This record gives sequence, structure tokens and C-alpha cells, in this order.
Amino acid sequence: MAREFQRGHKAKISDLTAGTDLYIGVQIAGPGLSFDISCFGLDEKEQLSDDSYFIFFNQPKSPEESIQQLGAQAGDSESFRVTLDRIPPKIRKLSFTATIDGNGQMSQVGPGYIRIVAGGEEVARYTFTGAEFSTERAVMLADVYLKDVWRFAAVGQGFDGGLDALLRNFGGEVAEEAPAAAPPQQAGAPGFAPPPGGAAPAPSFGAPAAGQGFTPPPGNPSIHQQQTMIAPLVTPPQAPGQPQFGQVPPPQPPPGQVPGQQFGQPPGPPQYGQPQFGQPPGQPQFGQVPGQPAPYGQPQAGQPAGGISGAMQKFRETPTGQRWTQQNNKMMRADLSQAGGQPVLARQGSMVLYQGKVEYSYKGAGFAGRIVGGATGQEMQLMRCTGQGQVFFAENGAHLHPIELQGDAICVSSENVLAFDESLQYEVRRIEGHGIPGGALFTMQFQGTGTIIVKTHGTPVVLPVTPTTYADCNAIVAWSAASQVIISSQVRLRRNAYPGHSGETVNLQFRGAPGNFIVVQPYEV
Amino acid sequence: MDQQMIAGYAPTPVSARMETHGSAMLKVAMQTGQDLFARTGSMVAYEGFVQYEPNPPAVRQMASQWLTGEGAPLMKCTGDGLLYLADYGADVVCVNLNNESLSVNGTNLLAFDAHLQWGVERVKGLAKFAGQGLFNVGVKGTGWVAITSRGTPIVVDCGSGADETYVDPDALVAWSSGLKMKAKRSFKASSLIGRGSGEAFQIAFSGQGFVVVQPSEDSTDRLRARG
Repeated sequence: MAREFQRGHKAKISDLTAGTDLYIGVQIAGPGLSFDISCFGLDEKEQLSDDSYFIFFNQPKSPEESIQQLGAQAGDSESFRVTLDRIPPKIRKLSFTATIDGNGQMSQVGPGYIRIVAGGEEVARYTFTGAEFSTERAVMLADVYLKDVWRFAAVGQGFDGGLDALLRNFGGEVAEEAPAAAPPQQAGAPGFAPPPGGAAPAPSFGAPAAGQGFTPPPGNPSIHQQQTMIAPLVTPPQAPGQPQFGQVPPPQPPPGQVPGQQFGQPPGPPQYGQPQFGQPPGQPQFGQVPGQPAPYGQPQAGQPAGGISGAMQKFRETPTGQRWTQQNNKMMRADLSQAGGQPVLARQGSMVLYQGKVEYSYKGAGFAGRIVGGATGQEMQLMRCTGQGQVFFAENGAHLHPIELQGDAICVSSENVLAFDESLQYEVRRIEGHGIPGGALFTMQFQGTGTIIVKTHGTPVVLPVTPTTYADCNAIVAWSAASQVIISSQVRLRRNAYPGHSGETVNLQFRGAPGNFIVVQPYEV
Repeated sequence: MDQQMIAGYAPTPVSARMETHGSAMLKVAMQTGQDLFARTGSMVAYEGFVQYEPNPPAVRQMASQWLTGEGAPLMKCTGDGLLYLADYGADVVCVNLNNESLSVNGTNLLAFDAHLQWGVERVKGLAKFAGQGLFNVGVKGTGWVAITSRGTPIVVDCGSGADETYVDPDALVAWSSGLKMKAKRSFKASSLIGRGSGEAFQIAFSGQGFVVVQPSEDSTDRLRARG
């Protein structure tokens, strides 16, 4: 499960992976540009006190080889191997940077990413595009830093000036070869003035206002570079541009649309609010090789004669001991035996497969529930799944997202609910507002402790609630219940005056403390 | 014209008989003497000299039990070139059989090598339930098979314990041939009065093997519905 990072997100590496031997891959490219991707090993003052920890093309490894530059492989333009437990204590921070070699600016860069791979599995990924930058000539992509424990931070901070300016910023001496590689470019934009105290600019990424850089990243043309074979080939598979490596999973092209990424800075902690998406939306999961959009892509190196088992290996179920396990982005497995064996309520007919002894029974809403449901349209046709065993839920290829509630609440439109733990309470909530056909909007509010599975058509976007967050009332899927909903309908006389037009120009505006979020799907019901 | 944005979608060099292009398109390298059976209407493009023969006599005989007998929804493709097949955006999985056998739900079969042994089997006791009439195609031998799935499929091992694996027939894609199947009705009187759970019957699999299911209960045969 690769976790998607957005600019400013931080996480403990121990939460991402148990391993300390990390592969860090950077993919960055732009038409006519060439890049120097380097790693700065900084001390506690964020200074490059020891030049031997400046890992770049001329110095591909640190003295004790805890940081090594591996070169381009597996779809990454540059890759590093970092062994965390061998890094000497004086090095507190590894800053991964990319600088343009020659002319050009960062806004010309296409979609790229930095990712962490551990144990053959991609665990973290931060994607960026050139649209987030302007005339900068360098970018600090991400930091791996020691603060009690090793942590990873997606930085995405542009930097004027080239590699030598970056090196000077970190307090390093520009050796002879560095200027040769990156000719000084002081003309044009005012250079980034390194503060005399030597505080690196990295921590300053928290500031910019939301709403910048709405440009969606362009589609990813490299998807076809992926091999599209399942079984070992008859001919040797030396496909161009796609080296195979046993250890590193093949590259994932940057998703065409990363939810929430365009919002420069989510306010506050990495997650949007309390109810956590079990995993980032839009990140498909396939059996053994998570985090790849084109699962049948890659011939697995060293796999014995393919046949059925080889072809099916990618789609194997992923057993875990947890109650809810996402099998891929469209299928969810519930283990009824877990969490006290409490039943699961699910939309009728959403079971696709089960193992064990499971009973399916009708779950009525009760008399009052039916009246309310009929009147508000927030009616769910539910079934109760009881017993011992594993049930797989899916519906119509909709994307599924588990949201774990820990005593808090979320509002979900009833048609977007696939399944939930019976321990959750739910009720119909009314949103008042003028100008809504029918007088009000209704939604389902779930609260308590348990998991709810929300389904969306297509990859949703999760937006943090800011002073100016609006959503179409037909496309909104869910929002954290702590945010306040205001109807902002645009009453247009001309439109509303015509008979037969239901005046569907009702927008919902959300207000709330930082940490609240809304989920919007690319599909208007 | 600026072709930069679409330049990445050019086909990759052929490296095997069947490959997927993206996730939903199948690319078959056709050669004379290596014929292919494909679902009628699944061709989206081809390059080279490929000919199509709908409902060839060999198929007519094999598939005489296929549904209503109005002709099997298969065509024989012959010739040299590159053939692109797709089924309304469903995910495509290519499987290289290595003297193995596989049972595929009829609607989820996209193409297979003509030299494979195959036969149409009706699933006993189930056909009368499923609206489409559940039938499956058993494929055996050494060669390539392409199957479709609405959404990324999941493969579940069955029969390790005492319990059977129950599958919603609408979500069933394929299974390994050795499995025993039987119908299970979880039908109660309450469903007659509108209080059903929506899960009326399942197929129970037992034995050693795997089952492939799709994350969708849409088993409509789109290629066929088009006529």
C-alpha cells in the first residue's frame, strides 16, 4: 500500500514500513531538460558540515555506504539506497533535491514523483508537476529526517539558482566540479538569500494559501511504457525503457489526477481530519504488488513458467488479520470473525464472494425508518451479514474507500454507502436552505466507532475545508460532520422561471475548523 | 498538430502473442497458421491482413449448446498483423496456459488460441437461475487465453478448509477446472414478501483451486447485447 503524500505531509518511516533499508526513487523529466538529482546529508543545524555526505553524480556514496546513489532504474530518473540504521548520528536530515542542468525552469517539468520502496513494495509516494513551480531552477523534493525517529516529509519547495546555489545554501563549499556541472546562474530572479544562521528553507512550506495551482496535472503518457504481459515471454523481454529489477516494483506512472494534491497546503496534520481514509483514494491495490495502476503489466523476474498461477498471482487476495481489508480499489473484504464478531450491514446484493458460514438476512429500517426514508430519499436497502467467515463486497466497479470512525461522525449520502459495521449509529440529517427544490437536502450521518465503506464513481477528490470550499450537491459524496454546510444557491430567474427545470444549481458551501474535509466524486448523480 | 500529448499511447513493440495495451485493450500478434477465436464484435482495430469469419462451422458444432443456439458469439480470426480487441472498457487479463486448463464464464471470455482444446459446458442446476443462462467455456492445452473483468479482479483460493467458497454468479469470472460446483440457495420465504437480503443464490466451489471474481455484479454481455 503506497501512501500518497501531498506537499507538506510528514510521516514516521516506521509507520510506512518496518524496514530501514530504503530505496528512494525520483522521477523527474521535462522536454529538453536534464537534471542532477542529489542527496544532502545535513547536520542538526541543517548544514552540510561534511562534504562526504553530499551524494551526487561525482560522489555516489557516503563513506560508510549508508547512502548510495544507484542511478536511473525501474522507471526512476535517479535512485538512492538509504540504510537508516547505518547513517552516523551527526547526520540528522537527508534532503533530496533535483536541479536543472543547463537552461530551463521548473515549470517546464512534467509530472514526476519521489517514492520510497521498502522490501520490494512501494510504501510512499509524493507526486508533483511543473505547474506547482515557476522560474525556479531547483526543487527540494523531500526530506528524510531524524526527529526522535526517522521521518519522511514531502517538501516540494522550489529554489532559485542551480546546484551550486543549493550547495551554498546548505553551507557547503562549491568544489571545482560543481560549477562545471551547473553553471552559475545569478541573472534573472533574485537569488534565494540563505539566512546567515543557516536555517534551511525547507520548513517554510507550510505557508501559502490554498487555492493556488489548480492546474490539473497533464495526463501521463508514459503509461504505455509499461509492459503489458503477464506470463514470462517466449522471447527475451528486453523491452526498451523498462528495465526489470527483482527488488523494485515497476514504476507507477503519476496518477492522472491526485486527489487533493492541487491544494498546496492542507491545514494542519497530514490527514484531513479525524476520520482517516484507510488509504489514499485513487491508489489501486492488487494482491501482492500494491500500488500499480496497470497490474498485469510486468513480467515478474525470476518467476517460474507462467501458466495460470503466474497470470493470477497479481490478483491474489491479500489476507490480513484485520476486519476490513481493501483487496483492490474496487473490492473490500470483511472478516466477520474479527472485532467481536459483530455483524456487518451492507447494501443488498453487494456481496460477490464469501467463505465460511455467513447468513444474509433482511435488515429493515423499522416503521419509523421507512417513513423517514421514504420522505427524505435517504433510504438504504440493507442486509445484515452475520456468522463466521470472510465476505467480499463490491458494487458495479465503484471505487471503495474505508473510513474508520473513532467516535466522530461523517455525513455520507445514502447512495454512496456500501457497507458499515453494525456498531455505528446512523440517522438522516437535514440541511436547510433556501432555494433547494423540495425545501431541504438530506444526508446520512454516521457516528460511533467502526468502519464505513464509501463508494464513489471514479477517483474522488478529498478537499480540506477552507473558507471558500464549494461542492456541487450532486457530486458530493461525504464530508466530516464537524463542518458546517451552507447552501449557496445561485438563483437565476431565467433558469428557474422555465417550467420543467428543476433548478439544479445548488452549491453547498462548507465551513469548518481546519482538519475537516469533503469528498467529491467525478460523477454527478 | 501537436502530438505530444498522445504520443505516449503508441503501441509497444510486440513481445508475445497476447499483451494488454493499457488495462482494457488486448493486442494480439496474428500469424498465419495461428488462428484465434475472439468474441464477435470485440475487434476495435487491426493492422495488417486479418480476416474474420463469424460463426465458423467448427464453432457452430462446439457451441451448439451455447444459449439459444442462435449462433455462437465467436469469430475466427486469421491472417498476419496486429489485432486489437476490447470489451467496452473491461479490464483484460492475458493468461498463458502451459498445458493447464481453465474454466471461463462465457461473457468474460475475450479471445483464445484456436489450437486450444475447448468446449462449452453448462453449469448444472444453475442455468435456470441466472438471467443470462450461466454457461462456461473450458479451455485446455498450451496457448493463450484473454479474459475480461469489469474492474480489477481478485483471485481467491478455495477449499483449504472445510467451508466452501460461495460466489455470486454475476461476479464470477473464471475458476480452475478441477473445482466442484454446486448451487446454493439462500432463499427464504421472507424474500417473497419483499424482505430478501438480495443474495438469493450462490455457486459453491469446493476442492483445490482458485476462483476469479470481478468487483461488479454487472454480467451483461455487452458485445452480445449490441447485436
